[in-house]
Amino acid sequence: MNVHDLLDEKAVFIPLEVSDKTEIIKTMAKGLADADVVTDVDAYVQAVLTREESGSTGVGFGVAIPHGKSAGVAKAGIAYAKLANPSDWQSLDGEPVNMVFMIAVPEANVGNEHLQILVSLSRKLIHEDFRNSLLAAQNLEQVNEVLKTL
Amino acid sequence: MKKLLAVTACPTGIAHTYMAAESLQKAAQDKNVPLKVETRGAIGIENALTPEEIAEAHAIIIAADTDIDESRFAGKPVVKVPVAEGIKIAGELIEQALAKEVTTSSSTSASSQDDISAMAETKEKKGAYKHLMNGVSNMLPLVVAGGLIIAFSFIFGLNPADGSFGASLLTIGKAAMGLMIPILAGFIAFSIAGKPGLAPGLVGGALAISESVNGGFLGGILAGFLAGYIAKFLIDYLKLPKSFAGLKPILVVPLLSVLATGLIMLYILGGPLNWIMTSLAAWLENIGSVNAVILGAILGGMMALDMGGPFNKVAYTFSVGLLASSVYGPMAAVMAAGMTPPLGIWLATVLRPKNFNKEEREAGKVAAVLGLSFITEGAIPFGAADPIRVIPALVTGSAITGALSMAFDATLLAPHGGIFAMLIPNAVGNVLMYSLAIVIGTVVTALVLNLLKRPAASK
Repeated sequence: MNVHDLLDEKAVFIPLEVSDKTEIIKTMAKGLADADVVTDVDAYVQAVLTREESGSTGVGFGVAIPHGKSAGVAKAGIAYAKLANPSDWQSLDGEPVNMVFMIAVPEANVGNEHLQILVSLSRKLIHEDFRNSLLAAQNLEQVNEVLKTL
Repeated sequence: MKKLLAVTACPTGIAHTYMAAESLQKAAQDKNVPLKVETRGAIGIENALTPEEIAEAHAIIIAADTDIDESRFAGKPVVKVPVAEGIKIAGELIEQALAKEVTTSSSTSASSQDDISAMAETKEKKGAYKHLMNGVSNMLPLVVAGGLIIAFSFIFGLNPADGSFGASLLTIGKAAMGLMIPILAGFIAFSIAGKPGLAPGLVGGALAISESVNGGFLGGILAGFLAGYIAKFLIDYLKLPKSFAGLKPILVVPLLSVLATGLIMLYILGGPLNWIMTSLAAWLENIGSVNAVILGAILGGMMALDMGGPFNKVAYTFSVGLLASSVYGPMAAVMAAGMTPPLGIWLATVLRPKNFNKEEREAGKVAAVLGLSFITEGAIPFGAADPIRVIPALVTGSAITGALSMAFDATLLAPHGGIFAMLIPNAVGNVLMYSLAIVIGTVVTALVLNLLKRPAASK
């Protein structure tokens, strides 16, 4: 399994025209629902927002990785959004966010294979080259091209 | 060239741990500083720092939102920040760490008495000894609880009826005792390989005490190291195609490590041990009639040699078997020799407390009760922690006790019970001299032990 197997076209937003953090999360959660990843949007959104409260997932460099583990998730999946307008995410470095990876993990039995993928994604996001090529990607295919380098 | 180390960790262990690790590594690379980062995340501990690396390092960066055991870094400068800082200001952290003076632990910011003693401990607990102690300290509560509960059960009679309260106590105590060796092996392996070591260690330990292996606590120690290094080897060196890499920690490592440990225990260890047991049993049958005192010494020594291993089992089974032929001397010798190891250890902790750490001194008091109850296992934590010095002392004391018991013509009709059997009228023949044999063996064990043992790092 690779990271692009976790990414469905319906959960990819290039660009996303919403700029409020909570609205972004809700929109992306609906995308994950359309992709049959999330079954209960409200429960999943709640899990993500609870996680944000315990500490922002805006990790800096314009990247945010909101994530939630919830019974409202049927299988592991990722949503990706390139924001049309940078959004405030209370990031570690104070910079607004322009790239959001949202991660959905089911409540029960989080397989390590998914964790491994998320770990390699997290590691890659530190690198400027990787972020730049992601930002340059204009559609799902190009995003997948970039993610293949994981 | 100054070398740096880092540890990263966060509560979820999915994103921040690894982003901080990557960020630090990137910053270190930019500055041409060698850096190794241990990550403690959802997939376990990776890139674990070794004591050698810690000894060589100039300073250690801890970027974590969870508690990290800092005792292993005692004496080294530490830069400690929340995990987010590791992502955000990695470069700055590297500079801070490089700027740290090499200090002794007494002048670091978090210094306290604890740090200093912790440093003495970490020095003491290097490598194999550290793994062994991790197993022993996790096993100790089971020995204490199980041993004492079995001893309590004897108050209700040595052969409690099924369903009685005494029988229930015995069942509980035996359940605790049954977990001793698996936990010992499991946590030795855990100390070596982290979480992936636990499963093969527990299984290896369970096999060590199974009928198919009869390895006793020494078999358990072996199983622990075996399982730990097998798991570590698989984590470090097993390379899978990328599409299967995700299966490695969840399926491949557990499956292969448990299977490999199990097969080695059964076929490589179990086979020879079974052969040894059969040969020993046959040999005892042959010398049985030669000389009672020598037989007593041999049986006694065997009881203490591996406490639950092949020698102990054969000596015990041999004596129990003789009860059926109304030969009661060897049974008495074997019980006396099984009582002196924990009793002797208790006496040693009383005579020279400096030789033992605080945990051991406390365990020593419990060992006294277990020794009186003929629960030889009370000596296992001590034997496991320092086998090379402890076992010869136990064997010497037990051999002397066994020989004396036979020389005094002591007899015993019950195969267990310790002092509780001695209180039953007519269960023990020549009970006064029998007690003397036990006392002498206890004193000899304690004196030899204190002669061999070195002062423990005081805690």
